[in-house]
Amino acid sequence: MTMFHFFNCAILTFGPHAVYYSATPLSEYDTLGTSIKAALVYLGTALVKLVCLATFLKVSDNEAFDPYQELLKALIGFIDVAGLYFALTQLTHRNISQNHKFQAVGLGWAFADSVLHKLAPLWVGARGLEFTWDYILQGLEANANLVLSISLAALGSLMWLRKNKPKTLIPIIYLCAGIVATMPSITSIMHTVFVLHSH
Amino acid sequence: MAASKKSGGHREMLESMYSVIALVFILVACVELCDAAAVVDVYRLIQYDMSGSPFGSRLASLNHHGASLHFPPGADLSRTVLIIPLRELNITFVREYIDQKKPLGGLLFLLPEVFKSENGGNKQIHEIEKLKSMLAELEKLLIHSNIPYPVYFAFENDDIDTVLADIKKNDAIGQPATATTGGYKLVIPTPEPNKVASPTITNIQGWLSGLKADGEANQLPTIAIVASYDTFGAAPALSVGSDSNGSGIVALLEIARLFSLLYSNPKTRGRYNLLFGLTSGGPYNYNGTQKWLRSFDHRLRESIDYAICLNSIGSWDNELWIHVSKPPENAYIKQIFEGFSNVADELDVKVGLKHKKINISNPRVAWEHEQFSRLRVTAATLSELSVAPEMLEGTGGLSDSRQFVNETAIIRGVKLVAESLARHIYGHQGKNVEIFADGSSLAVSPAYVRSWLDLLSRTPRVAPFLSKNDPFIMALKKELADHTDEVNVQNEVLEGLFTFYDSTSARLEIYQVASVTFDLLLLLVLGSYLIVLFSLLVITTRGLDDLISLFRRPPSRKVKTA
Repeated sequence: MTMFHFFNCAILTFGPHAVYYSATPLSEYDTLGTSIKAALVYLGTALVKLVCLATFLKVSDNEAFDPYQELLKALIGFIDVAGLYFALTQLTHRNISQNHKFQAVGLGWAFADSVLHKLAPLWVGARGLEFTWDYILQGLEANANLVLSISLAALGSLMWLRKNKPKTLIPIIYLCAGIVATMPSITSIMHTVFVLHSH
Repeated sequence: MAASKKSGGHREMLESMYSVIALVFILVACVELCDAAAVVDVYRLIQYDMSGSPFGSRLASLNHHGASLHFPPGADLSRTVLIIPLRELNITFVREYIDQKKPLGGLLFLLPEVFKSENGGNKQIHEIEKLKSMLAELEKLLIHSNIPYPVYFAFENDDIDTVLADIKKNDAIGQPATATTGGYKLVIPTPEPNKVASPTITNIQGWLSGLKADGEANQLPTIAIVASYDTFGAAPALSVGSDSNGSGIVALLEIARLFSLLYSNPKTRGRYNLLFGLTSGGPYNYNGTQKWLRSFDHRLRESIDYAICLNSIGSWDNELWIHVSKPPENAYIKQIFEGFSNVADELDVKVGLKHKKINISNPRVAWEHEQFSRLRVTAATLSELSVAPEMLEGTGGLSDSRQFVNETAIIRGVKLVAESLARHIYGHQGKNVEIFADGSSLAVSPAYVRSWLDLLSRTPRVAPFLSKNDPFIMALKKELADHTDEVNVQNEVLEGLFTFYDSTSARLEIYQVASVTFDLLLLLVLGSYLIVLFSLLVITTRGLDDLISLFRRPPSRKVKTA
């Protein structure tokens, strides 16, 4: 029964990535290589991010809200954007079209994120007898993350790869990219506020 | 040659890498999860065979759903653990279940914290007394029945109370906990209990020799003070026996301490040897006492003037009983009784004499002194009990906790015994001399009594589960060695009718589990979600026709290959 629950949660966490790959033309044009490269870039980025977080961030014992620390966290979050930039502009794989490239990169990015952040807790936690909603919520989060990654990659490809952009759209694109890139910080702030209010 | 070596080395390295990776995977797979809603220490009902017939709880491992007493009538409880707090216990209900051998997954009794040994609080005494008698009745029932499922005891705490409240709520709705409805699962992962191989009983004896006058050839007479120290109860890990016979041990140790003070000075050294015996096997017809006496030298046995056995002297108000096997008209008995009653009068307590003949053909030995009497040694038992307890009763079980033992009662008991012994030894019979007067250097020490009583009330002492070198036995030995000239430890095998089984305590993990139905539903929802997602993506990126053709293509291919 517990294995069953683990299986369910794994489907929820990793299923959409596979469905996305097989349902869209990505599978027809064999863009798996790009996705894998993007995942590797994600790994590198995550490492850099970890080092930065460990170097610059103080470990606070009390979970008080510190604006300066939050700002730092958001700034470190922009390393992700740098990684995506690298993946979108420097990776060339069989000259796939821009349209497929950002999807493949976003997909690889999101999948690597899910594997890195969700697989181990799932394996350790969801097989236990004790039932919690945590792992189902975590699966839903992975879904949201997929959407987020692909949209960020799409915005990035609009910014950096497309040559003839309509002038009026440029600020909107940058604004959207900024919002999407700071999404983790925004959610964490909202979470803190919500928790503070509920207590 | 070199190249092949190199490649061989490479392969070896790869193989070692594989093994490391395999090890990592195994480690990850074996990570034992302990994220239970509550983890509780539980104590199993004793499991034993008496002359081949099984008694007690016959199983140890548990993996069932929990239910409270409010379960819906007619529910199948064969895969359910009933959680019964002692406060709500209905003894006739339990008796009915056990006597009629109704199927149950298991039983978990929750004891109020009052019975915990460390607990010193004194709540409503009336209520506690009621609980105590209830617990004693339950214990008697459980010890003498053969129960084919695991039975555990646990102390109430906040965790388990919340779980129980939740279970009660579910039961009230009429939703019995099963695999399909979720609820709480109680898991105790213990292996099958094993027989305790050749249980040992350990007797400890201390010898304090008297002053022999020069040129005296005859052996000095000996007085023995004896207490049985082991216990027997429904839960071996909780059988601390503060009164039976913790109080007796404390009294014996304190008497040994007082007389060691007297005997350390040649001027006050008496002309009697003192023999202190801490015997084991008390609940089993004083098996240890019997072995101990048999091991005596013939001359030593002859030299014993009389023996005083101490048994349960921790919770009396005003009256103690001296139990003897010889008729009260016997000169020695008369002497002992008069010695005690004289001192008792001065201490303002009453001492009664009870005579119970021993029946040699009956294997039951109700009092420790009967083992002495069977070997024609004058002996008496001092106890607060007026009637001999039945077999395996009054042996320091669950209900016999520190709460119900009164230190001052023990102190008075010590004074009574020590004073009458001293008068006998120094020949002050009938005189009003107070040797162990309060406030003097020879006064009974309340701190000593209290600290030993507290220690004993924390230490379960069921003989088959006490090893030869148990720290407790070592502590007793050391304490007796401090107060006597010579200490001997005698290890014997507990023989006779009893076989015991181990795994007396365990950890209970309580999990809140989801039902199988829930997981099936979840799978259904997830499957449809993925299918909808797939269809949506195909339609938006390739068009509806592609989606339809996706389902059409395979049969056409099959036709082609055929």
